[in-house]
Amino acid sequence: MRKRFRETVTDLAAREERLVLLFGDVSVYLFKDFKEAYPQRFYNIGICENTILSVGAGLSAQGFIPVMHTITPFITERSYEQIKLDLCYNRFGGNIVTCGASFDYAWDGATHHAYTDLAILRLLPGMEVIQPGSEKEVDVLFRSQYANGRPTYFRLSDHPHTIDTEPVFGKAVVLRDAGASVTVMTAGPLLGDVLEACRDLPVNLVYFHTLKPIDREAILRFKDTQIVVVHDAFGLYEAIAEVPRLRMTYHGMPDDFCSCYGKLPDVRRSIGLDPASIREFLKKTTEKQND
Amino acid sequence: MKDFCRSVRRDILNIARTSGHGHIPSCFSVVEILCAVYGTIRHDPKDPAWEGRDIFILSKGHASLAHYCTLARLGYFDLARVAFFGGFGTDFGCHADRLKVPGVEVSTGSLGHGIGMAVGMALAFKIRKSDRRVYVVIGDGEANEGSVWEALMVAHNLKLDNLTVIYDNNMSHGRGLQIMNPAEKLRAFGCRVEEASGHNVAALKKALARPSAAEEPHAIVAQTKKGYGCHTMICDPYAWHRRCPTDEEFTRLMEELDEEAF
Repeated sequence: MRKRFRETVTDLAAREERLVLLFGDVSVYLFKDFKEAYPQRFYNIGICENTILSVGAGLSAQGFIPVMHTITPFITERSYEQIKLDLCYNRFGGNIVTCGASFDYAWDGATHHAYTDLAILRLLPGMEVIQPGSEKEVDVLFRSQYANGRPTYFRLSDHPHTIDTEPVFGKAVVLRDAGASVTVMTAGPLLGDVLEACRDLPVNLVYFHTLKPIDREAILRFKDTQIVVVHDAFGLYEAIAEVPRLRMTYHGMPDDFCSCYGKLPDVRRSIGLDPASIREFLKKTTEKQND
Repeated sequence: MKDFCRSVRRDILNIARTSGHGHIPSCFSVVEILCAVYGTIRHDPKDPAWEGRDIFILSKGHASLAHYCTLARLGYFDLARVAFFGGFGTDFGCHADRLKVPGVEVSTGSLGHGIGMAVGMALAFKIRKSDRRVYVVIGDGEANEGSVWEALMVAHNLKLDNLTVIYDNNMSHGRGLQIMNPAEKLRAFGCRVEEASGHNVAALKKALARPSAAEEPHAIVAQTKKGYGCHTMICDPYAWHRRCPTDEEFTRLMEELDEEAF
């Protein structure tokens, strides 16, 4: 996804002079050609996430469009107040683009895992929260939102799914409406595993790449079904739950740190988010529902 | 200038008394700094959004009342609008909202944010090859925040010689984490540093008029006193940090403002 992000931003920069990139010593080599082409619009600010955001807000105040990029937990959890005040409260637009979604850095342990970002950023007034699942979604949604004058969060992953969607900002994708009594709702790259898990199960499937604003209309369409939110982060369940009177269950994050290292599939398996475990959970839910 | 500063302090006291709000000693500490800054920078009270203006940011946002009273005296808006300071529905809160107050460039309040945004604006002017400058006032207490020093490192690394940081050294943190050698620290972080009496407008203006030409940010350590202008407050600034005067105290404080020594 990062390469797709680079290609999209590089393409836009050719005609959008206001675009300025502020990096936190991550992906710098990947953008070496960009830096060469636009030395006045690429800054490796350093390992100082608070200041990256404040500098981005200052650039935005003077008419530039900042793209602030580094590893997910450091620029969202550490620097939450800079996002809240310097961008959101001050109404300075800009784009926060992160890498290291959920357990992309599984082997680095809990310090590098990131699963609260979507939930906490969703709480900030004026913030847009996007979790692209595929490379196409990165491209389409970045182009659609980067220059809208609002703070927008893009959470990139090194493990995109390959399902072809027609992404429209703020709109959920109904992948399957089987008239079933159970509806699975998921977001981001996990869609690949979820699809595999429920391939022949009698469930509807709704997919989100935009968590804020959440597509209430799509949720309401399935309000009379049992909704199962399957997600490898916090935020989606809470967003859906804001629609009143839904019957919902959550299959996702435990209330604990995942300190087992390994690779992404290892961590997912350890918390029941591998295809087999998801399938087992969905099977039980559908059987119970149809009892 | 003394008259201007005395008038601003009177306005601060008056509004603090009627509204029941205001960090009076912190406000009194920056009155001459504000006077010197607005006497130096390019700005137009009748056109606060003028594209050629220099930028001023009060990063220590709790001195907003001093900023409002200064802006009002300069003609940005009528002082009467500030009277309901901190009240429900007013545009003039205890920490400024940039969308409500003409002349306020960024909304501050939580410490250690304004200086980072100042760095971003200075970078913006460098990218545009504009000669506009950015001035930011930080407090010595605010300098407890790591983000202040992050921002300074970045400003140095980006060679932002169009940035002036005014360090209001009112020694407010003797009971906590007082930074005893700010000039040395600012120098170590790559600023061209000078020191000036923070209550001498002429000295401050002289310092402000000598910006760096050597691709370094400019820093001025302004030696100030919390509550400057009222002997009572200088003697016990902690007691007055968030306090507003009773009628009796108000009369005495106003008299102190008029005393010859000040």
